[in-house]
Amino acid sequence: MKTIRIGGGQGFWGDSPDAAIHMVRAGDIQYLACDYLAELTLSIMQRQKLKNPKAGFASDFTQLIREIGKEAYEKKIRILSNAGGMNIQGAVDALRSIAEGQNMRGYKIGYVTGDDLLEKLPELLREGRTFPNMDDVGDFDEIKDKIVNVNVYYGREPLMDCLREGADLVITGRATDSALFLAPLAYEFGWGDKDLDDLARGIMVGHLLECGGQGAGGNFDYDWRSVPAMDNLGFPIAEVTEDDLHITKAPGCGGLISEQSVKEQFLYEVHDPANYITPDVTVDISRATIVNDGDNSVRIGGVRGKEKPEKLKMCIGYHAGYKVATYLPFAWPDAYEKARYAAEILMKKMKRKNLRYEDIRIDYLGLNALHLDVAEYDEELIKRLNEVVLRIAIRVKDKEEAKKLIPEISPLQLNGPPGASFFGGRSQIQDVIGLWPALIDRDLVTLTSHMLEVK
Amino acid sequence: MALVYLNTLAHGRSGDKGDTSNVCVYARDPKDYPLLKRVLTAERVKEYFGDMVRGEVIRYEVETLHGFNFVMKHALGGGATHSLRLDSLGKSMGSAFMRMKIDTDDPSGT
Repeated sequence: MKTIRIGGGQGFWGDSPDAAIHMVRAGDIQYLACDYLAELTLSIMQRQKLKNPKAGFASDFTQLIREIGKEAYEKKIRILSNAGGMNIQGAVDALRSIAEGQNMRGYKIGYVTGDDLLEKLPELLREGRTFPNMDDVGDFDEIKDKIVNVNVYYGREPLMDCLREGADLVITGRATDSALFLAPLAYEFGWGDKDLDDLARGIMVGHLLECGGQGAGGNFDYDWRSVPAMDNLGFPIAEVTEDDLHITKAPGCGGLISEQSVKEQFLYEVHDPANYITPDVTVDISRATIVNDGDNSVRIGGVRGKEKPEKLKMCIGYHAGYKVATYLPFAWPDAYEKARYAAEILMKKMKRKNLRYEDIRIDYLGLNALHLDVAEYDEELIKRLNEVVLRIAIRVKDKEEAKKLIPEISPLQLNGPPGASFFGGRSQIQDVIGLWPALIDRDLVTLTSHMLEVK
Repeated sequence: MALVYLNTLAHGRSGDKGDTSNVCVYARDPKDYPLLKRVLTAERVKEYFGDMVRGEVIRYEVETLHGFNFVMKHALGGGATHSLRLDSLGKSMGSAFMRMKIDTDDPSGT
């Protein structure tokens, strides 16, 4: 029986490459898929590209290929990634240069273009198309002059075209994370549009693997102490046959594949379990099963598929002002009381400076900066705090407003309550990119597959 | 009355999509699933989070996994970069959920 083993090599842009390298060397995989795009990543990449036309893709990926590309090629491990981000051509050029440098003749790089609709947007608007916010908030007219990027989430098909053409590596922009995993499985097993349950199973492979270590004992709430060798955490590998799905990991690395570790990833960022919508298929996992099936092996069953949605989702990034977070730590005794008093001083000063903000947060790190009002405010606990960090964050429309707060923090060491200890230097002002999710008709999107062969 | 933190009975993980936070919650022991089903109502969760979750809370059940998915709207201070929260992605929403106090003796869950 045909079995395909596919590894999830990256959870996000900035993740550790160690597990992907180990999988290629010791994981006995035929495919490696690496996800680099979170919701916000394309907007960040677009801003980098505006500053430097050669940037705008996940350079971590080219670094990974530099390290293991040749070995994967020799072992016939095919690699898929959405690392192309906002600059596919830049990524392809970088990959070609690496492959040429390592004498990888005949290496085929497949790539997909067409998800970037920034230039096409004005035309679509002139045609009278509208893009209401899927979350039913905001007015499009207010953001239309501040748009940074427009990208469509697409599914498996253009990636499969690259595989059919013999690509050793497939690089995309905003392909969905799960399409990177579904494409090779649908290609290998010949799944078509009507094989809804199979497509759904392929999507769940992607869903369970696309967050890297989180599928293998990373961020494990059930019992993090039981996870072996987190310093050498393996990432999950899916073992897929015509009608079965197991999650496992490579030998010789840390991490844990168990019913509970897989469960925690299973519903993560899924909303309605009966209707998990992707461009390829709507997935129903409301009656799914997860059972231990040997050492670091878990079997997934009961995944069902329903018709794919009519429209594609797109994500519009727009400039939405600025924000700045400032920090000032206070030491025992009465650290919290002193930090509160410092916050009052700052707010009085800001009032005198006529600070105009859209939103403000005052937090006390060590007490409530993560759990907010759900934190415990026990008086004895507050009295005993060894230290607490005052954090004041503001969001403003005008950059000049943000500049008012920053220089007021460090002087409080000498001008405020005792025991303040400024650290980390002055705060930086950050751009705020808003995200505007919307739907678009499939026929307005033309995705094109290309191939480059290294000479 | 036996009052315990939810994390003694359950485990889970939080994720984000825009300004929506989702926390999946699973019974550590399947025998506790009926109790969790009674006490972890959407209303109770909404009330527990107070001002932290400004939109509606929807509970989805997955019986076969002895678990739930709680989808909480307008729960991340605007979401992604908009948010001024230190934890702008709500990675700690799961642990915030797990510190809810559960009365293991109360069949009504109130």
